[in-house]
Amino acid sequence: MNKKSSKISTSNKNYSHLELVNLGKIFFKEKKFIDFRSKGNRSGFEAIKDINLKIEKNTFVSIIGPSGCGKSTLLNLIAGLQAPTSGKIIIDGQAIKGPGPDRGVIFQNYALMPWLTTIQNIEFALNTVFPAKTKADVKDRARKYLRMVGLEKASNKFPKELSGGMKQRVAIARALSINPNMLLMDEPFGALDALTRSYLQDELLSIWRKNKVTVVLITHSIEEALLLSDKIVLMSSGPSAIISEEISVDLERPRDREKIEQDPTYLKIKMRLEKHLLRETRAVEEVT
Amino acid sequence: MNKAISTRLTFAVAILSLLIFIILWQVIAQQGLLVKNFPGSFKTIGSLIWWVSDPFFDNGPNDLGIGTNLLISLRRVLIGYSLAVLVAIPLGVLMGMSKLAQSSLNPYVQLLKPVSPLAWLPVGLFVFRNSEITGIFVIFITSIWPTLINTAFGVASINPDYLRVSKSLGASKSITIRRVILPAIMPNILAGMRISMGTAWLVIVAAEMLLGTGIGYFIWNEWNNLSLENIFVAIIIIGFTGFILDQFFGFLQDKFDYSI
Repeated sequence: MNKKSSKISTSNKNYSHLELVNLGKIFFKEKKFIDFRSKGNRSGFEAIKDINLKIEKNTFVSIIGPSGCGKSTLLNLIAGLQAPTSGKIIIDGQAIKGPGPDRGVIFQNYALMPWLTTIQNIEFALNTVFPAKTKADVKDRARKYLRMVGLEKASNKFPKELSGGMKQRVAIARALSINPNMLLMDEPFGALDALTRSYLQDELLSIWRKNKVTVVLITHSIEEALLLSDKIVLMSSGPSAIISEEISVDLERPRDREKIEQDPTYLKIKMRLEKHLLRETRAVEEVT
Repeated sequence: MNKAISTRLTFAVAILSLLIFIILWQVIAQQGLLVKNFPGSFKTIGSLIWWVSDPFFDNGPNDLGIGTNLLISLRRVLIGYSLAVLVAIPLGVLMGMSKLAQSSLNPYVQLLKPVSPLAWLPVGLFVFRNSEITGIFVIFITSIWPTLINTAFGVASINPDYLRVSKSLGASKSITIRRVILPAIMPNILAGMRISMGTAWLVIVAAEMLLGTGIGYFIWNEWNNLSLENIFVAIIIIGFTGFILDQFFGFLQDKFDYSI
């Protein structure tokens, strides 16, 4: 495997925040009553296999790959929402056993509770993670994060009264409010229209600049990955998807979305990503 | 403007249809077109006014005001129904969350659900030796199934995103149940409770014919008096009460409808 990320991964100054070691996930069919007697030889769907990856503290890493390649599975494993079939996930030198408030998760469909107002959605997260905090404390903190995403005025609105972009901003505020040092995002802007998406990408960048955390972003947009990331991880087509390449994005920050598109480095990486994705997508489409 | 006219029109049509119905009923009864001595609408309305103007008299168990009888029925329904809901919601949550609970309890639910609750009446009388408790018991059995099934279904079909959020925050099972699952399935629970209440109100009338006192017994008693117009009075009052109960749940359902 040709590792292109030599520049980041060999520098010893930054220790790795997240490390995936030989990670694999197989989804087994649910055991039927009749199967109880037949041990072993259970067949399953292998989503990902032999994933090895190191992510440095406070870097922004995008994982990109053709649809159905197990990107979301990978994120769910890192979030601790599912258990890996093989391998380990190491965060700050410790193998994780499950989900934890050190990781804030943002889902594609916002996942706001529709019976709670904007501010109550954030308060729910805070109350769950910090049960000892006083009511006033929680409210203050929730308000602070709503202000951060520019939605202070919508604090008493219900999710159904908000646009998709606003909902995702609430979800970002909720994820950051618990003060995680890692943000896991599963195609967070995938359901938004192009203009809202650009706006939220800029928002996310400016928030990230102020509150540095390690970010793992799942996306299928090359432009999004290039605009936001320090490193792009390319996955092969599934099943049994592997990491086919790691590309570091050496573009200066802050990045301007108009200027960046003229940058020769940007264009070079973009072309490479397009070629890879096209090849992997073809592999998916032509198999079936 | 347009909407105001259309509401007024709807109202006018409803009134008109009621008037036509009352007149037709009166004519058919008066001419003896159906059977002899069938009470007409005028006589029935007269009876209705008589019963409603003094609803709470008490001249012994066979001569109670219609309001008194109605309250007796409502009391039985509310006690049996509340007990059923208190059992059905936790049990439904358990069945929705646990495969083991689902597969061990579902056969009983499926077997008992289609049985008319009145079949339990002799069982109740034998066990409790008390008609009041038997009435409550029959309503309990009646009310439990729709709420139980709807709750279990709600839990099983809950949006997995809510559970993932809760899990990713490291929420305990108890917090997840109280603060995520229960509010998320409120629409299902209320839909179940509404059906339960509707069925309970249907069953109490039949049960009371056999138990004594209550609006159902009132009907049986008036049948023994051969007073059909009083039975119509009871039918009108039972229908109206059922309508109010149903509207109450409709109102609650609107309150907890997260989609609009």
